[in-house]
Amino acid sequence: MSGKASSSQPSIGLSGSGALSHVYIQYPPLRCSTPESRSLHYDDGNKLLISSSSDQIFSWKTVPFSPLAIPTSDSISEGPILCIRFSLDAKLIAIQQSSTEIQIWNRETKESFSHRCRPELESILGFFWTDCALCDIVIVKNSGLDLLTYNSVSKSLDLVETRKMHVSWYVYTHESRLVLLASGMQCRTFTGFQLSAAGVIRLPKFEMVMARPETNSKPVLAAEDVYIVTVYGRIYCLQVDRVAMLLHSYRFYRDAVVQQGSLPIYSSKIAISVVDNVLLVHQVDAKVVILYDIFADSRAPISAPLPLLLRGLPRSYSSSSRSARRDCESSEANNIDNEAIIYGDNWTFLVPDLICDVSNKLLWKIHLDLEAISASSSEVPSVLEFLQRRKLEANKAKQLCLGIARTVILERRPVSMVAKAIDVLVTSYSYSIKTGSYFKGTKTEKTSSSGAPNASSLISGTDISTNRIDGKSIRHETTAGVDSECLNRSSTFSGSDSDSDSEENASFEPLKTDSTNLQLGGGKVNLAVAGSSSAEVQSSSFKRQLSGPTDNISEQQDSQLTSPAISPDEMYRFVFAPVEEEILGDPSYLVSIIIEFFRSANSEKIKVHPNLYVLTIQLLARNERYAELGLFIINKVLNLFDNFVCFQILEPSKEVALQLLESGRQNIETRKLGLDMLRQLSLHHDYVVLLVQDGYYNEALRYARKHKVTTVRPSLFLEAALSSNNSQHLAAVLRFFSDFIPDFQKSVDFSTYYRVLNNMNSSSIAA
Amino acid sequence: MGLASVSSANEGIQFCIFDLRRGQNEGQELDKILFFFPADLPFSTQLSVIGLSEGLITFTRIFSPEAACEVIEAERHSHVFYEAEPDIWMVMVVEKSKELEAIWRIDPLRKVLKEVHFLLLMFYGSLRAMLEKEPSGGLIRSHLYPFIMDYLSVTNCQHFTSALSWIPAAGADFFVGKKLQLPSFRDCLKERGTVQMLTVGREAAIEVQSLVRVLESSAGNTPCYSLILFHNLLVSTTLSPDDTINLFTYAVSRLTPHALSSGVSSWSYLRRGSASSLVASGSTLPHSASVSEQIYHSSNTSPGRDNSNHVARPLQHGKWSKGKDGFLVTDIWGVDAGSLICATPTVWLRQTEEGMYLCPYQYKSLTIILLIPLSSILNGEQGVSAVKQQVLDNASLKILKVEEKLSKGWGGENAYHVSGYRYLLADGDRNISRASPPGKVTTLTKESLLALSKLREEVDLEKSRAKYDNPDSERDLELCIRAKNNAWVIARVTRGKELYMVLEKANETLLYASDAFEKFSNR
Repeated sequence: MSGKASSSQPSIGLSGSGALSHVYIQYPPLRCSTPESRSLHYDDGNKLLISSSSDQIFSWKTVPFSPLAIPTSDSISEGPILCIRFSLDAKLIAIQQSSTEIQIWNRETKESFSHRCRPELESILGFFWTDCALCDIVIVKNSGLDLLTYNSVSKSLDLVETRKMHVSWYVYTHESRLVLLASGMQCRTFTGFQLSAAGVIRLPKFEMVMARPETNSKPVLAAEDVYIVTVYGRIYCLQVDRVAMLLHSYRFYRDAVVQQGSLPIYSSKIAISVVDNVLLVHQVDAKVVILYDIFADSRAPISAPLPLLLRGLPRSYSSSSRSARRDCESSEANNIDNEAIIYGDNWTFLVPDLICDVSNKLLWKIHLDLEAISASSSEVPSVLEFLQRRKLEANKAKQLCLGIARTVILERRPVSMVAKAIDVLVTSYSYSIKTGSYFKGTKTEKTSSSGAPNASSLISGTDISTNRIDGKSIRHETTAGVDSECLNRSSTFSGSDSDSDSEENASFEPLKTDSTNLQLGGGKVNLAVAGSSSAEVQSSSFKRQLSGPTDNISEQQDSQLTSPAISPDEMYRFVFAPVEEEILGDPSYLVSIIIEFFRSANSEKIKVHPNLYVLTIQLLARNERYAELGLFIINKVLNLFDNFVCFQILEPSKEVALQLLESGRQNIETRKLGLDMLRQLSLHHDYVVLLVQDGYYNEALRYARKHKVTTVRPSLFLEAALSSNNSQHLAAVLRFFSDFIPDFQKSVDFSTYYRVLNNMNSSSIAA
Repeated sequence: MGLASVSSANEGIQFCIFDLRRGQNEGQELDKILFFFPADLPFSTQLSVIGLSEGLITFTRIFSPEAACEVIEAERHSHVFYEAEPDIWMVMVVEKSKELEAIWRIDPLRKVLKEVHFLLLMFYGSLRAMLEKEPSGGLIRSHLYPFIMDYLSVTNCQHFTSALSWIPAAGADFFVGKKLQLPSFRDCLKERGTVQMLTVGREAAIEVQSLVRVLESSAGNTPCYSLILFHNLLVSTTLSPDDTINLFTYAVSRLTPHALSSGVSSWSYLRRGSASSLVASGSTLPHSASVSEQIYHSSNTSPGRDNSNHVARPLQHGKWSKGKDGFLVTDIWGVDAGSLICATPTVWLRQTEEGMYLCPYQYKSLTIILLIPLSSILNGEQGVSAVKQQVLDNASLKILKVEEKLSKGWGGENAYHVSGYRYLLADGDRNISRASPPGKVTTLTKESLLALSKLREEVDLEKSRAKYDNPDSERDLELCIRAKNNAWVIARVTRGKELYMVLEKANETLLYASDAFEKFSNR
């Protein structure tokens, strides 16, 4: 057992942030051992793990990943199995039995037929099902590609098209829909085809770079040294150069393949995973993993190489007393010590984020420890950028972002740095609004204007996975729903992907959701979120049990989030409001930060929560910086009378106006600003009442008449006039109401104040 | 009486500052006089002017002990009084003349006195403190004379020609040729003692505030103050209203790009001692912090050495220039002998009575006045330049951005012109005013201006009456008069704001005038 594995044990059950690891696999794994299991296969098109015995196959869904997944079984005829894949509608099973024969099973009718090639001329290297409009299945032979359709009537595969070329070996991933065909002496000349829903795109031929160990030798590139990787909707090919100890990367565009630079490797055995668009380069020999976020041009790793952590391994297992084992879910008494070997020899890395332990028949899913990653860097803006790009654990990323934002303010970091951090959050929110992903988690909606072009321009280099909303999903929503899980998923994930197949067979639809939009790297990953977090009570509650204390409560609260973007509203509620309560000393620092937020929001044209304006006023008033407060509110002095006000930084709202009036108790100028704002907002009633309160009843009357404010009681004006102790004024006000309100002379107010007026006059005469 | 002798003065104007607590004994009367203009008048005449003023003050105090006389109108002279500090009076005696140009309102004249005093306070601290520090009066006299003469621009005649006069000349200079020009009826669409503000959009306002916050924190934990001007208009301030007016006045007259360009030709600060021969340079003083401490801050420190040979003249013209780093420099406050570094000026804030280093920075049309608390800097010039460097590091980008935003939104000198109207808007509460551009005001006829001047006088009177009657309530009044040339002259005062306007091409009826007025207000 490796030292790393043992060192990881003390942190079992604790929050991952304490452990020296950024990536972990969660115990328990999916156990896929069945009686008489002969071999394990992975069908990446349907995300199925398939175990075969002599006459039966068992298949487990790996998405959503659940250790309790129950396999479905199909009986097949005996025979060797080189490769096995379900058709994308899950109705057929194709089994490659030899280099010349592929057998097709119909799962419902249990009928089968065989498809053979000409054995003397060619041999089958492999095959895959496709959602390409042209064909259903593609068979890769050493003589080229055969594109075939399934004919359900004649029970045969009909050849549609053949692409002739010499093929040494090939690589294909379903998420990229890209098949790379290697040819040449060194197998480093590649021809690529993308078989997308839009059709077959042939990529330009290109050669991979290989260093020579010595002048005359020519190393041959092997299939296991080439990886197709999909991140942020872009397709890359990573190629291990064993001589140079470099991992070359190539990016695929529709019409070009561009080498993108190289990453160093530190192990002769390398494995690649992609979790939530983060590239994980497993240095298998060194038993560490290096993380790259290939979003910007930077090729710098996110953090130092650290081991992969096995989390949640029950203590009882690691201790010698097996008797204490409470957990009986795994019927197979596996050797736990064997299970816990990290980077064992029999680990197979599956696309994109699964690890299959072939000898123990286990399937692990790789997770990112966002807390640990964010804690490991002091570069707050870049950490926030990284977190804002995470989709898989969007809520956790969001909570981390909020926490970081609070902390940097409370720690009074330099304003410029906090401003950058705020910029990151605001830009990200603005982006998520534009692409519609912000609302996705909470509502099913179709902001799919960008959908159609995306679907057709596959290797178009669309950079962001959030772009992936295609028109088809709408149709899908209406048709799906046979299976309850599907329903859930579609409700949380309406905007995501599906294709025409899904309409035929809804129950398997989720497995292919990522099939159409390969330019959207996040597709599959997102699906996992949706799956695990959709209203499926069982699975989510189960997940909760498993993950134990590492999951905080809020994670479940709105676990439907698909974007960690933080709205201005949330910025106020979860950052500024709590910080305002906690921060000590001079509030001017907080004001600076709020201004930076305004600036950022303004540049992104995002509305700010009015309460934040209110808070700003409170802070300024607390410092008695009324003059500046004025600058925040208006700059135009010409607001002498009506509508001449130009409100500045703090946008007018009733809340803001009322806060100004409140703060104006100490400062008459501020109060006037509040009044001006009320007027600006056409809150005539409040304005008139306040004018009267302040003793400007003449102005109030003039205003009331002009704006036809009839809701203010005349007695209010009369009282104010009376309190001025000026009989002329009182008479004027009385006259005003007599003139403008019919029947006022019959009212009680009139008679009362008329009497008062007479008394005043007589007393003044007497005096 | 003394009046007759006063009238013989060639300029027709006298300006004096005296202390009622001094020179009360026979034979020591000269002690009272702290400043007298014109200085070449015989002492007997000076004393008679002051004696008369003193008499009037004593007499009026019988009736109004708190606020003695503000103005005495004699047949041929007006005496304008201003009690700068308890028992220290500033009096201006102006001759009434048949000349048109000599028709003025009293209120602006008093504001001139007030302005002089406020500037004095800003640069030297209170007069009383100076007197207490050196009871002989030599110190204060040596300061007052050059200061006020600089204020009145005797030494360096320059003024705004009408072509350039779109800038509201707040701290304008009064000498035109040989004649001292006081604010006359022609200036009745200006309000002395207010700032003129730039109207900016929301985006620019946020950028400005963002910059302000950076400036504020540039000296560590003690907050710095700042004042930002664009051309000659105020953009932002973190100072109290009084201090804002003071610094704004100073900046507009001496620091803005326009003020600099009008003075820079005659003087180069690097050529030390060439132009500044009038005042001894600070070369004898090694340390500027101690300079400021000893010269300006006089309340409780005992003067360590004799500094009477150096008098800083902050209002001297053409003494500021732009340094390489964008900060404006001057040798007014002396030059360090060894390094040739100009001493950083210091000013006193009225509100907090704190001493501040004055660091103006200029980028294109943007002038930023950064005030760094003396208390926050322990190692003098070195510390100041460190803060300056920090400002350059942290704020340069923001300054660029603000300048760009403001320039983009800048409507030019006539931005605030409203066609058909000649107006002045003053917000007395916030000490802000805005007026038609001077270039447009000059198109008005004398009759209109005279009528407005008259009207304003009435309003002034009404306002001051209201102030005595009931200090809490604000007057609410509207006046509309028809001038001889058929122009409408309108004044409206409400809720602390005043609007004056002249409509020359107006229709016959009052209704029309009032409509036009409403239109302006509702614009």
